[in-house]
Amino acid sequence: MAAPLAGVIVAIGLLFASRGLDTVSAPGQLGPSFWPRLVLAGLVIACLAKAVEARRARGRGAADAAPPAARARLATAIALVVLYVALAPLLGFPLTTALFIAGFLVLGGAGRPLMLAANSFAGTVALLYLFVKLVYLPLPKGGGPFETFTLALYRALRIF
Amino acid sequence: MGELLGNLGVGFLNALGPLNFLMIVAGLAIGIVAGALPGITMLNAIVLVLPFTYLMGIVPALLLMIGVYCGGVFGGSITGILFNIPGDPMNVPTTWEGYRLNRQGKTQYALGLAIMSSAFGGLVSALFLAFFAPPFAKFALGFSTVEFFSVVVFGLASVSVLGQHSMAAALVSLFTGMFLGTIGTEAQYGVERFVFDVPFLKTGVDFVTVLIGLFAIGEVLDQIAGTAEPAAHVNTRAVPRLPLLDLWPLRWPLARGTAVGIAVGGLAGAGATVSSFVSYGLEKQISKEPERFGTGHAGGLVASESSVNGSTGGAMIHLLTLGIPGSAATAVMMGAFLIHGIQPGPLLFTKQPEQVYTIVAGMVLANVVMIALGFVAALSFATLMKVPAAILNTFIVVFCFIGAFALRNDMADVWLTMLFGVAGFFMRRWDLPIPPLVMGIILGPMAEGYFLTSMVANGNDLTVFATRPVSAIVLALAVALLVWPVAKRMRRRTT
Repeated sequence: MAAPLAGVIVAIGLLFASRGLDTVSAPGQLGPSFWPRLVLAGLVIACLAKAVEARRARGRGAADAAPPAARARLATAIALVVLYVALAPLLGFPLTTALFIAGFLVLGGAGRPLMLAANSFAGTVALLYLFVKLVYLPLPKGGGPFETFTLALYRALRIF
Repeated sequence: MGELLGNLGVGFLNALGPLNFLMIVAGLAIGIVAGALPGITMLNAIVLVLPFTYLMGIVPALLLMIGVYCGGVFGGSITGILFNIPGDPMNVPTTWEGYRLNRQGKTQYALGLAIMSSAFGGLVSALFLAFFAPPFAKFALGFSTVEFFSVVVFGLASVSVLGQHSMAAALVSLFTGMFLGTIGTEAQYGVERFVFDVPFLKTGVDFVTVLIGLFAIGEVLDQIAGTAEPAAHVNTRAVPRLPLLDLWPLRWPLARGTAVGIAVGGLAGAGATVSSFVSYGLEKQISKEPERFGTGHAGGLVASESSVNGSTGGAMIHLLTLGIPGSAATAVMMGAFLIHGIQPGPLLFTKQPEQVYTIVAGMVLANVVMIALGFVAALSFATLMKVPAAILNTFIVVFCFIGAFALRNDMADVWLTMLFGVAGFFMRRWDLPIPPLVMGIILGPMAEGYFLTSMVANGNDLTVFATRPVSAIVLALAVALLVWPVAKRMRRRTT
């Protein structure tokens, strides 16, 4: 029940934040705040309905049917994904991707060294050929020495 | 009629010429692959092939683009069914049912149904284009933003059939999606809404980031956490089978999906995404077993898939007969016409019938050839199913990274995708349905645009939605769609 009520508070806060949008609309026009307010009002009502529903369900003693999550594995997976996205602009796409593939494979239980190396290296190279050489996608090259490394790798692979 | 059939015959002879036929096959292959890769849409693929058409004649050039168009709208279904990653927003309803069927070990069945219903929808719509284009275009030209708003509202109203367990949860999800669609610079006044000085929010939240995050990353996290629905059977031989006999019991969803696709595709600006949501919602409402939707219902898959390809012929009607592109893809095709010095419009059918009917015949052939190419593509992608889950999950995350980055070459989109991925995991945990959120972020901005334009054009007179007959009928159907489940529940309680 806490989550729907939190939704109500956030939606009301956003309704409050939409006040500033009225300044640009001319008299007699609906203005840019009309639609978001309509949507947020709908969200408030829907969240209240969900809160009532949750309260009734608790009254009936309905159990949470969701299976328990492997919290440590989940937290590690999320941390790896966050690190991947955070480090890509610094270390460059090739290096970060190779490291991420190895890390995520170990987490998934595929930890044989040969498999790790093959997937990290061959996978990254294949992705570079497909998206940098063929699709001309300017994937992050990294900064400083890592950019030099990425460019050297591209030249070695004849990507450019 | 005799003249029309004669022109069509000449069109088929031309389209079967070696170069023209090669262009159809090449276009289909490019379209299917591009459609299947998240972040690279069918529209991207059409734009990418446009420069290659400069040196071609108009007919092979357009056949190449038509191939990409027909293949692209189908391609996203393959990855949707196999990996829960819809290639394009229009493939989302197919993913809801197709992925569930896949998890139940019915991969071959789901892929076969998707291929056959796509081809059927596309084929019928191409024939409709050949025989009824001019009168339909005249009828549809009378529609304005009032009617478009009503059609989008009908699509949004289908949330009533998506909220299987809890209507309140479905509405929370829908309004959240609609709110996300309002973030960014507003189109009419140029005002920034809910940006809070965050630079990348100025351009809004791209729905593809939401789509990839909620479906693909959310699913990967679900599997890592061990909370995903266990697969009933690991299908190591995921060759799609030709489900001709399986299609017979599904003939009505197929017919309805195709009809909705042609009708909605024929409305300039509505397109395949709206038609897929509308046909799915309609199908669930009509179905005798609506509770099975979302758990792997073949009727839902067939209806949405046939309507997506059914919309291709509808969208071409405007382009060929009126010179008005009905969708972004046909707008690029119009560019190809103009580059080659041809002005699409009412005179095109009388002045250059040979070229027009070659294009129409090309659409028919593209949908027939798509059956074969679809099977090859599905087989190629399905071999990935044999890859261990650890490897597959890892590369899904990497592909999502690339797909999100490719949208605007901006890391902010990648962050958003991953953020929505985590949100998708918790939405599953808390029993908040994901499809209504996706529907809200896609259809919400469309509804706002049509609504505000209608209000400006009609002096803020809300009655215009009830006084225009087509709008009134569609809105009445939307209300019925919302009220019907409640009435049914009440009747069940009283009995």
